[in-house]
Amino acid sequence: MKRIATLAFGMFALTTAFGTQATAGPVLDEIKASGSIICLTNTNSPGFSAPDSKGVFQGFNTEFGRMAAAAIFGDATKADIRGIGFSDSMKTIVARKAHMASRSITSTGTRDADPGLVFPVTTFYDGQGFMVANKLGVKSATELTGAVVCAEEGSTTLLNIADWFGNRKMDYKVENIGDKTARLQAFYAGKCDVLASDYTALLSDRQLAPNPADYTILPEIISNEPLTLACQPDQELEAILFWSFQVMLTAEQYGVTSKNIDAIVKDIDKQPKAVRRLFGEKGATSDMAEKLQIPTNWAYSIIKQVGNYGEVYERHLGDSTVFKLVRKGTPNDLSSRGGLMYAYPIR
Amino acid sequence: MNLLANKEKRSFIIQLILAAILFSAAYLIVQNIRDNLADVGIRLSFGFLSGEAGFDVNESLISYSASDSYARVLLVGFLNTLELSFVCILGSTIIGVVMGIVRAGSNWLGTRLALAYVEVLRNLPKLLILLAVFIVMINRLPTVRHAWNFFNGIFISNRAFYYPKLIWHDGMVFVLAGILVWFIAAVLWGRYVKRIQDLTGKQLPTKWPVLGVLFLTVLLISVLFHVSYQFSLPVFKGFDFTGGSRLSVQFVALAFTLSIYHGGQITELVRGGIQSVQKGQIEAAASLGLKPSQVTRFVVLPQALRMIIPPMGNQYLNLIKNTSIALAIGYSDLVSVMSTSINQTFRPIELMSITMMTYLAISLLVTALLNWFNYRTKIVTN
Repeated sequence: MKRIATLAFGMFALTTAFGTQATAGPVLDEIKASGSIICLTNTNSPGFSAPDSKGVFQGFNTEFGRMAAAAIFGDATKADIRGIGFSDSMKTIVARKAHMASRSITSTGTRDADPGLVFPVTTFYDGQGFMVANKLGVKSATELTGAVVCAEEGSTTLLNIADWFGNRKMDYKVENIGDKTARLQAFYAGKCDVLASDYTALLSDRQLAPNPADYTILPEIISNEPLTLACQPDQELEAILFWSFQVMLTAEQYGVTSKNIDAIVKDIDKQPKAVRRLFGEKGATSDMAEKLQIPTNWAYSIIKQVGNYGEVYERHLGDSTVFKLVRKGTPNDLSSRGGLMYAYPIR
Repeated sequence: MNLLANKEKRSFIIQLILAAILFSAAYLIVQNIRDNLADVGIRLSFGFLSGEAGFDVNESLISYSASDSYARVLLVGFLNTLELSFVCILGSTIIGVVMGIVRAGSNWLGTRLALAYVEVLRNLPKLLILLAVFIVMINRLPTVRHAWNFFNGIFISNRAFYYPKLIWHDGMVFVLAGILVWFIAAVLWGRYVKRIQDLTGKQLPTKWPVLGVLFLTVLLISVLFHVSYQFSLPVFKGFDFTGGSRLSVQFVALAFTLSIYHGGQITELVRGGIQSVQKGQIEAAASLGLKPSQVTRFVVLPQALRMIIPPMGNQYLNLIKNTSIALAIGYSDLVSVMSTSINQTFRPIELMSITMMTYLAISLLVTALLNWFNYRTKIVTN
């Protein structure tokens, strides 16, 4: 499948390269004209993006596609969310067959240097880890000399493990399996000793194990993986994605949620100034809306329909979910609580 | 006008014009791609090939580490593709010829079984067969810690099949040289035997003398040069076996899947070829007193071969291209390393062109070989 898709997108790249007039495209206009924003996401990563019983993708990553739709159309349901394999996701954007991706893509220098792709804002700070079966009795990744490591074909994971084992002069063998089912089967059947992936991906992969309690994620985090939204280059679109995310952070900082936003807007004059700038009629956001040519109440739509960052995190990854992914004290906490989520001023 | 009146000249001119149109079209396409890519700021360049690849592969026929270049990792993938293609061509041909003969034969059970095999295999997508084979193998075979042990040296696990490796001894050069001499002698003996048979009708023995000489040659040289045959045995240590050789489960799964998949198609080709030989020929051969095995070998197959070889070439080309499903289960073939390289360097067009050119080159080579073989069989049988 992936092979076919790879080639197909290669063909897209070739045909679009010589089929269209290459103007520095106003992607935003195209999105508005088409009536929806195409957002690529993971095909099956419980918590981040996986189809629900109706076949609609749900999860942390999908919320940022909905965030963009809420900002641009005032309607989060206008996000056309499509699942795609990692290898093909970036190619699809470069080939202009999708507007954005919220698919746990690590922003790297070489990728960002490509003119067909930009990384506007990081939505999750992750790092690569290792998962092993308890019965191996391994407590630390430094005990893994000679181990066989399963990793996703085509990803930065392959490079990180090559670096990590290489730096320590430790021997290892890699199994770079493209098909996700085949990869997880290979790990759970004991073909590989170790599964290497982003820490959070390991958490969700563990949920797919026959018995999740039989597997442990080792303490070592061996890389920085800023999982970042990606989109086609377009100044307005990049600004919308970046500032929509800032709205979600600021709202969390001031305790504005999808539940209480209506009450807050009703009582807008009694709110702190930062909140008034976000949701007030004469707030900075309406000025921005005019310049970006999006609905005036875009910030309200995002919080009302999607929620603030903390809400989204809690909804898909937090204590109420099977993942119970701790946020406190991690880079994904707000900067005011020691994390890296630093809300830029909207004024 | 005179030019157009002559049939040969006319067709030459038409071909010339056609070639000119094709060339200019190709030139326009390349130019257009280049210009449009330049407009969006993409410049084609192959300089990245000498850069450090930075990722490891599962298996390699040549030495390779993550600090080697992209060019080297592509070579690794290319060789892996060739290795897999070679094994699959051999496997599918053997399966196809045997099943084809059974299918065209007169054994009721045999023809039905062969028919069932063909129908199942050619009506399922190969990627599905591959994933099923792979998942069954990794779930049904024991883990490496509990590997099945045969003859105290062969281990079978869901990671790989491990077997003893012959340790190289300098005297083996002479053994190999001896085998080469034996091979040439055997070929010459075969020709001589055929000549004698053509002239006198007398059949000289071939099988036992030739094999006997091989055995004696190897034995004699081994004793003469004190060649010792020692094997390195696979031993489990830490996480995996060390020593010996290994065949990864993904390679076995791929070789098996593609061999039975294309074997099914070759079965039909062979059956068609055999059935195209007129019944009268077979009856004539039988009435001359040839044994059924001789009828197949001397009358049916040489004639069937002429029918089979051209479509067989198609099968081989398809098979070589189909090895690219390897990426799904983690065999580092050309497409797999290309795909990883694209994600790291972000040079899809360059890497895809290299890959396409490589496949094209392999295919053209195979076509040339088959055409040569086709030509040979034609002369021989006519």
